[in-house]
Amino acid sequence: MSRIRVLGPREELQSVLERIQDLGLVHFVDFAETEALTQLVLTPQQERHLRNVRRVVEDVNTAMRLLGETPAPSRRAAESLTLPRAALIAGRARRALEGLEDRRRQLEEERSLILKFQPFFSTFDKISTSGLDLDGIRIFYLVLRVGGEQELLRLRAALRSALGEGFELFSQPSASGESAMILAVSSVDAKTAEALLSEAAVQPLVLPDQFSEGGAIDTIRRMQARLKDLPRDLAEIEVERKRIASVRGRDLVRIQASLHDHLSTITTMEKAVVTPRAFVFEGWIPSAARADLERRLQKSFGGMIEVETISREEWEGEMAPVVLKNPRLFRPFEAITRMMPLPSYGSVDPTPFVAVFFPMFFGITLGDVGYGALLAAVSLLIRFRSSPNTKPRAVSEIGLACALFSIVFGFLYGELFGDLGHRLGLQPIIFNREEAVIPFLGLALALGLVHIVIGLSLGAVQRFRGDKRHAVGRAMAAVMVILIALALMAAFELLPERFFTPLVITILVLFPILIVAEGVLAPIELVSTIGNVLSYARIMAVGTASVMMAVAANRMAGAFGPVFVGIVFALLFHLINFVLGVFSPTIHMLRLHYVEFFGKFFSPGGVEYEPLRHWSPREGAV
Amino acid sequence: MDGNWLYLSAALAVGIPALATGWAQSRIGPAAAATLAEKPELTVTVVLLIAIPETVAILGFVVSVLILLQGGG
Repeated sequence: MSRIRVLGPREELQSVLERIQDLGLVHFVDFAETEALTQLVLTPQQERHLRNVRRVVEDVNTAMRLLGETPAPSRRAAESLTLPRAALIAGRARRALEGLEDRRRQLEEERSLILKFQPFFSTFDKISTSGLDLDGIRIFYLVLRVGGEQELLRLRAALRSALGEGFELFSQPSASGESAMILAVSSVDAKTAEALLSEAAVQPLVLPDQFSEGGAIDTIRRMQARLKDLPRDLAEIEVERKRIASVRGRDLVRIQASLHDHLSTITTMEKAVVTPRAFVFEGWIPSAARADLERRLQKSFGGMIEVETISREEWEGEMAPVVLKNPRLFRPFEAITRMMPLPSYGSVDPTPFVAVFFPMFFGITLGDVGYGALLAAVSLLIRFRSSPNTKPRAVSEIGLACALFSIVFGFLYGELFGDLGHRLGLQPIIFNREEAVIPFLGLALALGLVHIVIGLSLGAVQRFRGDKRHAVGRAMAAVMVILIALALMAAFELLPERFFTPLVITILVLFPILIVAEGVLAPIELVSTIGNVLSYARIMAVGTASVMMAVAANRMAGAFGPVFVGIVFALLFHLINFVLGVFSPTIHMLRLHYVEFFGKFFSPGGVEYEPLRHWSPREGAV
Repeated sequence: MDGNWLYLSAALAVGIPALATGWAQSRIGPAAAATLAEKPELTVTVVLLIAIPETVAILGFVVSVLILLQGGG
């Protein structure tokens, strides 16, 4: 990054910012005021203009949200849409779409209210065909929950004792298992019936306002008719929305983009400082693009604009904004790095290491061809349903990498939905995780050792640019961890025993050097680092738990009487194990990266690189 | 070693750390939920804080497996 200072005539400030926006690479910073240079203050007229622009932006954003689609922008030039014209289009579109949305919401509410009464329709069909006269009769609409037969009997008995034969109770079971009941009593007895229903804790449904007038049978007929009409009314709203989208959609997209651009140049103006005749602002630009910026400004404004590069001695590294730049294959894993604060400028971006180790550790833990294939299918589904450069797309690509490693390690362990692979002839190539717990633990700890040593080495390289003594300390810690691991291997006879004594002597010799380089806390740090390596045992623990659950699921198939029941239970258990098998390693691998690995070198505190650029509906700005 | 003592030791090796982890997470959980209600951007930190005590249970599990394997062997 290069820090630049741009100077020019004050009246050209906005035009200069617009050209810079076309380039889209300058990240502006606040400029401290001096005696001669004061912060740019907007005039009352500019303030009013800004308020108007903000209002139109709000209108157009609301209209676009309610439109629910983003048509291709109109070819009409932005200049032909003046602010008053844009305000008129956006305001009208917003009001029309808000009206349609209100109407749609009302109709949906009406439909859901009528649907509550739908179970009563067939009961009323029975009443109307029975010839019962409902004049002077009060109707209560009741819903009896599933298994409420006893309540029904009690209610009937209470009504009989209070009203004698002066009531009718019709009951009709609905598809959901509840019963729709209609209680018909004489208007004179309505109060008594209400009290009895209240005692029995049965809440009658209240008729919607528009149906509260008229007789009961007529009310139900009107509801049935309305329910038939509602889809037509909703379709009319959709037709009108589509009409607005086709007539105004393109203009709205154009207005939205141009006003967002305009708004960002105005707000960026406030970062400039001015004299009565000139402006100055500072910002950051990728060093390779600096010449291009100068050429563009020269072309548009002749020699009126001066671009200076501020020398490296005048700024601290922490002030520069940070952009993560990785090859396409690693880019989805930036989502994992971005869950932490950004790395500071000039420090190591851990994304490439995350891209290699995260899916690998995940695959070693899950390690099952069947579960891996399932994860791949889910990831592909998310991938096809997501747009490029979005979080779901990144998640799907990380999922695909994890699935690939899971399938590879599934073959190496000979696992397909647990031990089903063994039964189908899939043989383990490296070891069988059901039995080989110690080799699996050894593999996990070895990976931990490699990962931690890489972290310490990155820490050493990073510190070498500044504090060389600490860099040596980090490198020494990496060497000590390796030597301690080798000494332990020699002690447990995994290496020839004759190596043990020389290794211990080397460790003892290096120990004082480590203390000199890293300070008196170095031994504690070293013990903590060894603890970090041991933490990788979770790869074995979570992996073993996953394979044992899968084995238990397979055994269920034969454990329940009928084979069919056993298979259903086994499939359910496999599904649960798959969800746990994806969730648990994800959390643990994130922890291994953030706590154990990043802790050795990661230097947070970077400021996100946010250049002034053109707005786009998907990303905000491009 | 007598078989019963072996199994008891293995069970305690994983059981006690698991209880300790559960207790620690029961204290972290409500604080985490309260934190997330106010600052959702701290999700990662909160997930890490909840996951940290699990190390104790996992190491207990490893020790338990070692007891069973070494004792059985």
